[in-house]
Amino acid sequence: MKSLTIALNDLRRSFRSTFALLFMFGIPLLVTGMFFVMFGNIKNSDSLTLNTTKVALVNLDAGNDQTGQIGQTLVDALQSEGLTDLMEITLVNDAAAAREMVDNQQFGVAIIIPENFSDSFSNTQSKVVVEFIQDPTLTLGPQVVRSVLNQVLDGYAGIKITVAESLKLAENGTLPYEEITRIVNEYMDATAYSSESAPLIDQRTPAELPEKSPMLAMVGPIMAGMMIFYAFFTGANSANSILHEDEEGTLQRMFTTPTAQAEIMRGKFYSVGLTVIVQIFVLMLAARIIFGIQWGLITSAALSALAIASAAATFGIMLVSFFKNTKQSSVIFSGFLTVTGMLGMVNIFTGNPQAKPLGIVPLFTPQGWATRAILASMDGAKVEIILPVLLALLAMSILFFVIGVWRLQRRFA
Amino acid sequence: MQPALFVQNLHKTFRNGHNLKAVDGVSFEVNPGEIFSLLGPNGAGKTTTISMLSALLKPDNGATGANDIRIMGRSLITEPLAAKAMIGVVPQDIALYQDLTARENLVFWAKMYGLKGDLLKTRVAEVLELIGLTDRANDRISKYSGGMKRRVNIGVALLHQPKVIYMDEPTVGIDPQSRRSILDGVIALKNQGMTVLYTTHYMEEAQELSDRIAIMDHGKIIANDSHENLIRLVGQKTRISLAINAEPKTMVEAWNNCKGVSTLVVEESKLNLLVDDSNVVLPQLFEAAAAKNIRITSVEIQEPNLETVFLHLTGRALRDE
Repeated sequence: MKSLTIALNDLRRSFRSTFALLFMFGIPLLVTGMFFVMFGNIKNSDSLTLNTTKVALVNLDAGNDQTGQIGQTLVDALQSEGLTDLMEITLVNDAAAAREMVDNQQFGVAIIIPENFSDSFSNTQSKVVVEFIQDPTLTLGPQVVRSVLNQVLDGYAGIKITVAESLKLAENGTLPYEEITRIVNEYMDATAYSSESAPLIDQRTPAELPEKSPMLAMVGPIMAGMMIFYAFFTGANSANSILHEDEEGTLQRMFTTPTAQAEIMRGKFYSVGLTVIVQIFVLMLAARIIFGIQWGLITSAALSALAIASAAATFGIMLVSFFKNTKQSSVIFSGFLTVTGMLGMVNIFTGNPQAKPLGIVPLFTPQGWATRAILASMDGAKVEIILPVLLALLAMSILFFVIGVWRLQRRFA
Repeated sequence: MQPALFVQNLHKTFRNGHNLKAVDGVSFEVNPGEIFSLLGPNGAGKTTTISMLSALLKPDNGATGANDIRIMGRSLITEPLAAKAMIGVVPQDIALYQDLTARENLVFWAKMYGLKGDLLKTRVAEVLELIGLTDRANDRISKYSGGMKRRVNIGVALLHQPKVIYMDEPTVGIDPQSRRSILDGVIALKNQGMTVLYTTHYMEEAQELSDRIAIMDHGKIIANDSHENLIRLVGQKTRISLAINAEPKTMVEAWNNCKGVSTLVVEESKLNLLVDDSNVVLPQLFEAAAAKNIRITSVEIQEPNLETVFLHLTGRALRDE
């Protein structure tokens, strides 16, 4: 099978190049490694922890006869046991002093609960602002605290609605005013925002997978992003070898041998696909060994990897088919892949895979679908859950391949 | 006898803005065991012809209809794989993987020619021996000199022991020693019974190697015969090349009127003349120049050769393009 001979020859040449190896494996692992070292302790991946942020908490809430001390429940929530690894709370009485402590970098963050915090729950018209002051020289720690605070305050929106509805009933005479505090407490218990339990981080881990540390939850998507970003570059780079060989005369020389043109092109396509597959699987394995990254259930991870490889390879083939020579292709495809890569992986690059700053825009790029597949797999999704994403990647791959092959065959016919 | 290579009515026009007719009705036959050269200046259509004969370019149909290329009786158009198995192509530029060793290159190309197992190993070893690179077989091509690369480039085409070998200007841009080695190699191939189609714009190479020479110009074969018969086309005409201390055009009319001058061509700073007898014509040329107070600064006399033939047939020098 001469197509396999061609593919293996290309593979050997790719993996013999130091530059290609650095590009395919070195850079993605190095970038992820940088994040890994920046955010934690590289020596023991099981004990990776974020540095605890020192928080000065000022509770000025005067309370309310109808709702009680809701500010205190916020204090209790922030002091809950589950958050002690992330923040070290110190109660401070004076708001000005707390601000000064942050200015002096004694604390990373100050949170000031205003005097009318509880009042705002009984008066639906009034607005309340919890002040959040952070040391501008710190980035990650204050962001984590802010995120937790936002999550807690989101829960208080529900309490506010409960209080407002209870007050309406009390004003109508159908509910005694003294019952309102009880109802609020019942609501808080039901929604788990009580002082006894504060499951503030909704961390879901499938039963089959070991629990992820916060560090891996952060570094995992970065590694996935790097892998996808560079896999698409490798796909285009490998496909670019068709143009390289055309310019160097080796492709024409192949055409003079007793080998059908279709078989030669098939060999070139195999080599693109094989190179990307090897790259992805080696990166996944290396990331598992070096960083302890969990890629999900083996079937989901393997199918996602294959789908990503096929999209990256065929996207490269299609891109290359639009260029006349390597001068054109090298310049343009780098820019194009950078833009589509950044768009497709914007959620990862913004540091929060759950946020969607550009809405559905990432889904207009194959990298966006690839990201969706691998992140779902990393979250422990079973094959049937990610199947629609995998099918979308497969459909895209078929489209890219048909366009690429059609254009290349026309050129070399 | 069935020709090793039968070429009939090849046409090729490149439609890149201005229709460039690169090959215009080329037909010829090459007999088994023969070295047949396509000689012509750059742009004459030699490489386009050889590209069509290698199945790299598809011939146009041409105004007069049927074209055909047969290699050892197999049509390249209807049975391309069978026909291509008969040929070895040495491209003009080095077409090798620079990042692989000579041995790895030869093994890869041998597989592309369909060789396997022991035969593959034997042929790779034989070719390495033939091109004199057994000792350097495990060095990467990128570390080789230009001449060594040329040798591997030729070696690849010999791996499958083809019946016919095409060599497209294999000596371009190499040192005299490597050139000599390649020319000796071509003669050795002929001695082994191989048929060689050789393209060149070096008259001396065509003259030394070829059993027959086809002279190409502007996409057409303008003459096709043995070296001796081609020389006879110009009779006993001698080529005289002169330089003068004035604009060459100043002497065109006067020298054209001299008795015995059959052709006069201005080529850059020189005037090239084909004359019947240089002993008779030269004094006339000096007299005519003196009459115009012009001095002849150099004279070169050349007995009839392929250069003279090309000048005679086209009115241009072989290397003036």
